[in-house]
Amino acid sequence: MTTYPRPYADPRSTGPGPTASASPPAVPRRGAGGRRLLIVLFLGGLVASVLPWWRDTPAGSLTGATAMTTAAGQITGLVAGYLLLVQMLMMSRLPVLERWAGGERIARWHRDVAATLLVAVLAHTALILVGYAGLEGRSLLGQAGVMFREYQDMAAAFAAAGLLVLVGLASVRAVRRVLPYELWHATHLAAYAVLLLGFAHQFSNGSQLFRPGPARTGWIALYVLVVAAWLWGRVIVPLRFNLRHRLRVGDVVPESPDAVSLYLTGVGLDRLELLGGQFFRWRFLTRGCWWQSHPFSVSAAANDRWLRLTVRVVGRHTQDLRNLDPGVRVWAVGPSGTCTAAHRTRERALLIAAGSGITPLRAMLEELPPGAALIYRARTPADLLLREELDWLTRNRGLRVWYVVGSRDDPGPRQVTTPDGLRRLVPDVARRDVYLCGPPGLVEQYRRVLRQAGVRRRQIHLATFEL
Amino acid sequence: MRRALLAITGLAASTTALVVFKAAPGTGHLAQAVPAPAPTATEKAEPTPGKGATKPKASSSPKPTRSASGASRSGSSAAPKTPAAQPSPSTVVGPVVRNEFGDVQVRITVVGDEIVNAAALRLPRGTAQSDQRSDQVDSRYSGTVGMVVERQSADLDTVSGATATSDAYRRSVQAAIDQAR
Repeated sequence: MTTYPRPYADPRSTGPGPTASASPPAVPRRGAGGRRLLIVLFLGGLVASVLPWWRDTPAGSLTGATAMTTAAGQITGLVAGYLLLVQMLMMSRLPVLERWAGGERIARWHRDVAATLLVAVLAHTALILVGYAGLEGRSLLGQAGVMFREYQDMAAAFAAAGLLVLVGLASVRAVRRVLPYELWHATHLAAYAVLLLGFAHQFSNGSQLFRPGPARTGWIALYVLVVAAWLWGRVIVPLRFNLRHRLRVGDVVPESPDAVSLYLTGVGLDRLELLGGQFFRWRFLTRGCWWQSHPFSVSAAANDRWLRLTVRVVGRHTQDLRNLDPGVRVWAVGPSGTCTAAHRTRERALLIAAGSGITPLRAMLEELPPGAALIYRARTPADLLLREELDWLTRNRGLRVWYVVGSRDDPGPRQVTTPDGLRRLVPDVARRDVYLCGPPGLVEQYRRVLRQAGVRRRQIHLATFEL
Repeated sequence: MRRALLAITGLAASTTALVVFKAAPGTGHLAQAVPAPAPTATEKAEPTPGKGATKPKASSSPKPTRSASGASRSGSSAAPKTPAAQPSPSTVVGPVVRNEFGDVQVRITVVGDEIVNAAALRLPRGTAQSDQRSDQVDSRYSGTVGMVVERQSADLDTVSGATATSDAYRRSVQAAIDQAR
């Protein structure tokens, strides 16, 4: 089909040949300590952000509903301000965050914090309006008008709240699904405007922040910190990476009727700190593609000659990827992701893939200790990607593979989505790490089944990338 | 999504808990332990109901201390300047002037014919805007080096953005000066 070096035929040009019976050593582990530290830091920051209010408010001073409403408005305001910064920080792609928590997990955190932030902002707006209206003896609408016209920076703050609601609405799953990616993405960029528009009113009107003092200084320092982290993670680190490695498209190889592999070449690929299962955010610098960045997993373990990603053609962007010419420059940001062999908690692993979800797991397989098992679901035999390589791994690395082909309701697939069916295939499933990658619905279903089969939560690793 | 629901519930619960905790009376004497002269402390301790209820002591506690220390400083500095000729300082409290944002009341300290200090006993508090206006007015007019002492009269420049509070301050000072002379 092609003369391009197939990975299974020669995985590492300088390493031991593929016929060497001894598997390469499994990658060393990375623990969950960093993740716990991040959570502790987050909670500490949350407490610290409400502390100015706590210190400014003497006990017993909140008498009457109006004062209490205003106080609740101040608390939710401080929490909202803090959460907005946390959201920005989580989107900074700071290497330490990617390493300790992983891109997929951060995306899930971002989603959960987003819902809380939205509620906090709405509560803040409503409570302050009601509280101030009570204090100044106005109607709600009247008070809103006065704040809009007379309070410094409040018009911008109202705009920020409105934008945030818009961003939130566009990201509700049901809405998101019907929006084109580009539209959703453009809406989401408005979050930066929220940060800008909402900035000033905290300092001109925030009861805890308008006076010079440690609270105000700390709050400003937090902003500086987040902007610095963002610049570091979004600008400096990617610039250094791409200047060092200078990736280009080497070859485009069809894998199935609707999937292609892109082989990328570059400089110093042996120095790449890449784990199988990780992904990059790719930007292909051609007309029509350069402005979009998409996360795709690397579909083969790191080697010193090429990087490979395997992509299923599902939308306009992936359609364009199929027609890329060799030589096209590629801008990559990463690697990120913690669904890797390094994050295992046990010695053996079970991998469950569906459709194109095989790609990160395929890369990981080369780095797992021997004895791994793979269940690969697909609708038709043609949908099984990279099958030759998997068969090669089966023969040479002691991998066990079950291809489960058919629709969700066929007896075969149905059987492997029950706890008993899983145990029949892999009797020691409860003592394995389980890596899941596939469509969100299927992953969710498997997660439930695995929990029923006695697999602990921390042994289950999700490679779904869903924002 | 389950985590998000948990977080939202947690936010609502802890906000309520914080507010309820601060609303519980009983530990209030902590704030009153601020060393301040008795008249100031008693006059400050009874905020207008509803007004300034959010954080009256925290925001106003620096003021009585400041004005009190200012008063005592001016008293002591007045003593060596004019050893026995000057009478001792006396304070005059102006009337409460009510405006749409709240109450304003000013106390001046007079030595002979000279105003040596001015302090706001009441200023509108509560909303961010009124807090801020009151702070601006207070810092411009009050104290031993404020505009009242500087001009020795109630002829004060209006603080921009705080016309009503400036006006109320002027009227309270004017009444206090009339009373003193």
